[in-house]
Amino acid sequence: MDISIRKRSQVQLIQLRGQLRLGEAVDQFRKAIDEALAEGDTRFVVNLAEVPMIDSSGIGVLVRSLASTKQRGGSLKLVQPSSFAVKTLRLVGVLNLFEVFDDDDSAVASFS
Amino acid sequence: MPTELGGNAEDSALSDLIDFSMPAAAGAINEVVDSITEALTRLEVPEQKRYEVALAVQEALANAVVHGCGNDPTKQVRCRVKSDPRGRILIIVSDPGPGFSPDLLANPQQEENLYADHGRGVYLIRQLMDEVEFERPGNEIRMWKY
Repeated sequence: MDISIRKRSQVQLIQLRGQLRLGEAVDQFRKAIDEALAEGDTRFVVNLAEVPMIDSSGIGVLVRSLASTKQRGGSLKLVQPSSFAVKTLRLVGVLNLFEVFDDDDSAVASFS
Repeated sequence: MPTELGGNAEDSALSDLIDFSMPAAAGAINEVVDSITEALTRLEVPEQKRYEVALAVQEALANAVVHGCGNDPTKQVRCRVKSDPRGRILIIVSDPGPGFSPDLLANPQQEENLYADHGRGVYLIRQLMDEVEFERPGNEIRMWKY
């Protein structure tokens, strides 16, 4: 999985490409979030437009990251999850924990 | 390596499509899931159903690798895929571990578990597949998709 990160208006914009599932992909994502949190970043937007599948490990890291950001007064928001990813998040009861947006701009603006 | 097999005496109405054995390592799961997805595509299984089966297989293999084999790549996880003329698909994942009792798993939808970073795999499998059975002692899962 490819991960690209840029910062806009004090928000970490994370673009994921590939499957977010057990193994290197989840480990990479977890590491990226942990490093940003360690540097004091608490606001994250994760673009999932190019992530066709999220398994339970991927869900776990998303939920864990959401909890970590909220504990620090921030949040982690999702952009364009695929219909199957939405279904998966809903099936395990965590979809409503997240704010979901159609594009990066809206998600970033929501932090203002 | 995947192999094509002939008919199975125990499930005479089912055709063996694939029989994989893979090392118990997370990195080995993707190839198996992708191969199964390709096989289902050749069978013209509808996309939504393919996604659901693929994710259920992903979860079952992950559990076998992590919990059944302790991420020990010297151990082997087996995955078999069968189908019948009506298009029903049976996936069987087995590992050499001691097994577990699925009844003892916590419900990930309970309030206190919502923010847990693990514990959703079996629950997700049950949501995605039409029928799920664990063979004693719990180191083999059989999953049906109709």
